[in-house]
Amino acid sequence: MSYSRRQFIRDGGIGLLTFQLAGCATQLTPEQAHGAGVSLKKLSGTEAKTLAALGEVLLPGSAEKGLVEFIDHQLAAPVEEQLLMIKYVGPPPPYDGFYQGGLAALNQAAQAAAGADFANLSTERQTKLVGEMAQGKLENWGGPPPPFFYFVLRNDAVDVSYGTKSGMESLGVPYMAHIEPSTPWEAG
Amino acid sequence: MADRYDAIVVGSGAAGSNMAARLAAGGKRVKILEAGTARGNEHLVSSTLWARRLKWTGEPVLEDGANPVGHVFNAGRGVGGSAMHHYAVWPRFHAEDFECRTRYGRGLDWPISYDDLQPYYDRVQAESGISGDAAQETWRPPGEPYPMPAVPLFAQGEIIRRGFKVLGMDTAPLPLAVTSTSYNGRRPCIWDGWCDAGCPIGALANPVTIDLPKATEAGAELDTDTQVVRILTSDDGTRATGVEAVGPAGRREIFADVVVLAAFSVQNPRLMLASATAQHPEGLGNSSGTLGRYIMTHPAGLIYGLFDEPTLPYMGAFGGQLVNQDNYGKESHAATGAFGSYQWMIAQAVKPNDLLGIATTRVDLFGQALHDFMQRAAQGFATMTAVVEDMPVAENRVQLSRDEKDAHGVPLAQVTHTTDPSSKALWDQVLIEGQEVFKAAGAKEVWTGPQGAMHIMGGTIMGDDPKKSVTNSFGQTHDLNNLVVAGPGLFPTSGGVNPTFTVHALTARSADHLLANWPA
Repeated sequence: MSYSRRQFIRDGGIGLLTFQLAGCATQLTPEQAHGAGVSLKKLSGTEAKTLAALGEVLLPGSAEKGLVEFIDHQLAAPVEEQLLMIKYVGPPPPYDGFYQGGLAALNQAAQAAAGADFANLSTERQTKLVGEMAQGKLENWGGPPPPFFYFVLRNDAVDVSYGTKSGMESLGVPYMAHIEPSTPWEAG
Repeated sequence: MADRYDAIVVGSGAAGSNMAARLAAGGKRVKILEAGTARGNEHLVSSTLWARRLKWTGEPVLEDGANPVGHVFNAGRGVGGSAMHHYAVWPRFHAEDFECRTRYGRGLDWPISYDDLQPYYDRVQAESGISGDAAQETWRPPGEPYPMPAVPLFAQGEIIRRGFKVLGMDTAPLPLAVTSTSYNGRRPCIWDGWCDAGCPIGALANPVTIDLPKATEAGAELDTDTQVVRILTSDDGTRATGVEAVGPAGRREIFADVVVLAAFSVQNPRLMLASATAQHPEGLGNSSGTLGRYIMTHPAGLIYGLFDEPTLPYMGAFGGQLVNQDNYGKESHAATGAFGSYQWMIAQAVKPNDLLGIATTRVDLFGQALHDFMQRAAQGFATMTAVVEDMPVAENRVQLSRDEKDAHGVPLAQVTHTTDPSSKALWDQVLIEGQEVFKAAGAKEVWTGPQGAMHIMGGTIMGDDPKKSVTNSFGQTHDLNNLVVAGPGLFPTSGGVNPTFTVHALTARSADHLLANWPA
């Protein structure tokens, strides 16, 4: 399959990213990648599980929209092509440590508060922890500043949920692209 | 003769492209060196996610101080620089902005007056095209009327304007370097709010649409992925002789009669500091000790509201629909300790996500509450932004990192910025006023955002006194008159308006002077 760098950039912006599926480079949206169960490049199984659970608390449905696959894909991309919003507000790249450190800290705090990893807590308990994270009141936290981690991850969840053509249309916001994607966002 | 030019221009953003176009049109052999990648309008995609690739992706800039300048967000990388993601709000500086020290005993004076710059404002607006209604801008300094009709007003603008009227305040169409009608072969804007992602139809006056084509058609050469790592000087230290650059072909030296630094307010002083020699031990152009000092960034005053009426918040331009400068006078809130000018940019087009998107205005919400808010806000959200003057402070500065270097061995820039108390006091007052406007307009909910950092200016300020400034009024460094700085780094004060129009006007004036007085 011929796939130029320019094509990668255009499709990446609209939603298609190149994932490895059954050993082949395949263009998918994060949502499709989630459904297809692509293998992750940067995040461990535990990190992915924690991230998905956190995403569901921050913005329900974001895991289905491919939050884990999106972040993992972006962490593996060259810095100049990364799309993560942490670029605006965070420390210099690489950002692996920020995400992995924050997810580990969340599990550390969850263990201290409730004796289990974050993903295994009740929704009620997860919501309480995230609220404390947002307010900087989370104890036993050894990662990036909790409110900052909350801010960035919340915006990542918003990106995959509402930063897409289908996401905007779900709000009644016409996308009105100058340059239409070469393949529709919701292909397949 | 290879690698010898009349002029080298470092950077292909607003200032660099404009300078290159003018020098090339004047018959000079020009080489533009751009550290980032090649880019044309055809590479732009309407996506808030893709737009992040237009931001700074170069070597890290280290930031500290209480109010960092937000370099990644405000700067750009690649052909067109930060102007590729700028919002094209092009008001003029006012006469008092140029004489702050003389009139008020505060801040700094420029070495020129508004009258010196007015003809260049007029020339640039005809070249680049601005849509607006000069008659409605009762506060506008003298100048030719805008060459295009005003931008259209959508529901969000109509609704917020109602609040200004109730409070007895004026509004006028926001002057935008965006086509409201066909102009010089460019298509009119379709008001879909994608300015931040670049404008692929050429409606917005960015360098790829306006000045780079002029430059290359006049013979200027553009090298991309080529980073300048040092400015070369003559043995006696009296002249710049060229630059050392690293590009696809490796490290090389390129020579020229004139070296123009147009790499924005942080990288220009970084390069000058990093090019120190025995004759210039504190950096090139730094005999005054002011190189890197007086870095400024406008504190942004962010007002948000929810209305019962449909606001169509996604329609229009990213910069807004209307402007208010009723309180531009620098002592409008003096009783509170505030000082400086400000303007309101009213009714920006917004998208659901991203740093300036709807979701980010309520970071306290998550879960289903966030979904519910997004559904309401997508229909009834409104916003406006104050551009608040940032008084120049010598301690706000660009320095070289003592510990960290980039891949080519150049020390990273360390930028320190803390907002002056008088500017912070003005920002506080502006937020109060903005909330009153929204309440008067009938908003059901009104809230504000944190202090934003908008634009980066200063660091290589111009002035008459070589002991207190880096360059003269044409951007020529006092110490080496063929080493020229272009861009907002020249500003001694920030005013309370967006800087890009003034960058163009200053560049045009500088180019005229250089062509008439070539420092060969």
